[in-house]
Amino acid sequence: MAQPPSPAADSSGGTAVTTVGGLSTKGLSAGSIGLLGATVIGISCIAPAYTLTASLGPTAAAVGTQMPGIFLVGFLPMLLVALGYRELNNAMPDAGTSFTWATRAFGPWLGWMGGWGLIVATVVVLSNLAGVAVDFLYLLLAQITGDADLAALTENVLINITTCLVFIALACYVSYRGMETTKQVQYVLVGFQLLVLVWFSVAALTQVANSTAFDALAFDASWFNPFLVSSFSAFAAGVSLSIFIFWGWDVTLTMNEETKDPERTPGRAATLTVGVIFALYILVAVAVLMFSGIGSGEFGLGNEEIQGNVFAAIAGPVMGPFAILLSLAVLSSSAASLQSTFVGPARTMLAMGHYKAFPARFGTISVRHKSPAFATVMAGIVAWVFYAVMRVLSTDVLTDTILTLGMMICFYYGVTAFACVWFFRAEAFTGTRAFLLKFLAPLVGGVILTVIFATTVVDSMDPEYGSGSSIGGVGLVFILAMVLFASGIILMLVQRRLHPGFFTGKTLTKGTSLEQ
Amino acid sequence: MTDPANYVVAYEATDRGNEAIELGVALARLTAAELHICLVLPRSGAVPAKVPAGATEFDRLLELEAHIWLTSALARVPSDVVATTHLLWAESTSEGLLEAAAQFRSDRIVVGARREGLLNRFAIGSVANALLHASPVPVALAPRGYRAPKKISRITCAIGTRAGWRSLIESMVAISANLGVDLRFVTLVEVDAGGHRSTTDSAAHLDQVLEHFAGSSTATGKVTTEIAEGKSVEAAVEGLDWRDDEIAFVGSSRLARPSMIFLGITANRMLHVLPIPLVVVPAGEPN
Repeated sequence: MAQPPSPAADSSGGTAVTTVGGLSTKGLSAGSIGLLGATVIGISCIAPAYTLTASLGPTAAAVGTQMPGIFLVGFLPMLLVALGYRELNNAMPDAGTSFTWATRAFGPWLGWMGGWGLIVATVVVLSNLAGVAVDFLYLLLAQITGDADLAALTENVLINITTCLVFIALACYVSYRGMETTKQVQYVLVGFQLLVLVWFSVAALTQVANSTAFDALAFDASWFNPFLVSSFSAFAAGVSLSIFIFWGWDVTLTMNEETKDPERTPGRAATLTVGVIFALYILVAVAVLMFSGIGSGEFGLGNEEIQGNVFAAIAGPVMGPFAILLSLAVLSSSAASLQSTFVGPARTMLAMGHYKAFPARFGTISVRHKSPAFATVMAGIVAWVFYAVMRVLSTDVLTDTILTLGMMICFYYGVTAFACVWFFRAEAFTGTRAFLLKFLAPLVGGVILTVIFATTVVDSMDPEYGSGSSIGGVGLVFILAMVLFASGIILMLVQRRLHPGFFTGKTLTKGTSLEQ
Repeated sequence: MTDPANYVVAYEATDRGNEAIELGVALARLTAAELHICLVLPRSGAVPAKVPAGATEFDRLLELEAHIWLTSALARVPSDVVATTHLLWAESTSEGLLEAAAQFRSDRIVVGARREGLLNRFAIGSVANALLHASPVPVALAPRGYRAPKKISRITCAIGTRAGWRSLIESMVAISANLGVDLRFVTLVEVDAGGHRSTTDSAAHLDQVLEHFAGSSTATGKVTTEIAEGKSVEAAVEGLDWRDDEIAFVGSSRLARPSMIFLGITANRMLHVLPIPLVVVPAGEPN
């Protein structure tokens, strides 16, 4: 034999289970990603084509022409929390989710809710992604065949919900099989998205210059001043949406093991990613504002009919026959994102199942595909049911899901930020770096998120909030958020009663950074 | 061959994985070989999603589960066979198995061949298929529902007239060295299939094969030859008698690179009807 395999103690029984010498470097393929690759992954995480079409409308509705300014400000809390995120990731590399971090820092109850917040946020974004994909599928079909009636099929509730089910089932299946998008596909998808979005912006600005824009608005430098927003409520709503548009950026910061130069590549990639994204968002936001204005006309950003999916409405008038490219870009971006987004909640639920915070079935791993089988299927079912219910209840399902999503992201990022502060409390004042990154940044980020969260919760009670859908005089977004939180608390109490192991600290213990 | 011989068993916690263990046990008993039961886990890549996908924790939980699977794998191995278990991380299962075979200098890779859910005895699964087109060592395929016999009583070698038959003979010589196992050499002849080859040609070829084999064999069992005729390869295979405690050998296609397996069309068709394990031997070194 080449070399005798080294016996290692087996934690599960008396048998000797060995690992094969050099082959066992487990997990991520170490050191294979350079700066460009990491940046592509970062942009791919954010999925800008999808993000923009889903958020431009609701953001313009909240803050009007101050949209570019709000996009800039909205990055700040994301940055502050991400810095804390990175510290937690370095301190507890064996963990990997908000659930585990928050449990280690705060104990089972808040840890459970942190995990729940992440699961709910992803389930909501899954349904929004699938919803956007459905719209663009029929739009694309209409553009290909030249039959405009096809685009209207998405208005049919039954067809819409069924198509959405097909999308979710496909994405679910791909995740279950453990298939991953190859690097080459990611490069192509990202390059295509960037190219088409720039094309779209240039086309919109050209129309403005030729006076053929829908409702041309003259550029004004004051658009970049976020403090000109009419009220604090509008400001909070805008920031909450901005957090959604940068959501996914923090992933680049935690890609240590995979990069060629773990000391520098993640930081540089994160900077480059946010640079590209900033430039793109500002360009698109300004172009759309100048082309469409914020009125409530047919293609105006103030038109509630088009707010949930802006590109679907204005790509045609802006790009003419080439609008089909934008449809392709958004469809590919949201479909790819839909598939990859299944992995996160499935793994969190698997971990929660393993630590007995969720029923044990969630901890099942597929023996054939080595993927979180039950958790993946459950994520798919819940996302689809959520979408179907929302599609029936809401007059604008996409807008309302995005607003709910903003709240959920604020919540679980907030929990993670405070988890960071609390976990590192013993070493917060041991040096300037520790003070800034482990204490001040996450603390300020957490406070900002709390304020934004509280403000949007209160404002969402207004029946006019979001799409203007309401139940019993209370805004639908508020009811939705409360149902999601309340069901989390109820499920937590049920689990506490049936399987108290996790809640009595038997499976995952609380600690601080110095106790490890 | 190294001493003692060792085989890589491709394990997963399914019927297919269990069948691979059963065949591994049968072969280990025949040649007094050791088994390396290998479970390959997928190496996660970066998942570009808005939510961090927590690969490190997931991989740790996966590893915990894999140890449980391997413990139950070991429990299936009877006490008269020496086996160790190994956990591997690789881009793909077949890649991991090939790496393990290289590392252990294994003489053979044993794999459950069937794909789940189809009625065919051998509807080749993706892992077996990948190995059958890339392995530098013989690949043994376990049929659906296979259980190790107490002792393998006969080895059948399906041999053609193409250039690669000598390396197949060498493989037969090696596995039957000093054993009392019966050996049977068969040629499959498709009748009424256009390019008709007479059975006298086949008989002459079998004589040549026997002569070559006898020149280097140290086996002590009974050696027989048989010409199997049928309207198709499948019919020819089904026309032969097969014992429950028998295994079959077949060579690679001439498309195979030297020292590599490439499953030929005839072998592929044999696979679909063969009720017993099949060992596919790589093409020989170029002369």
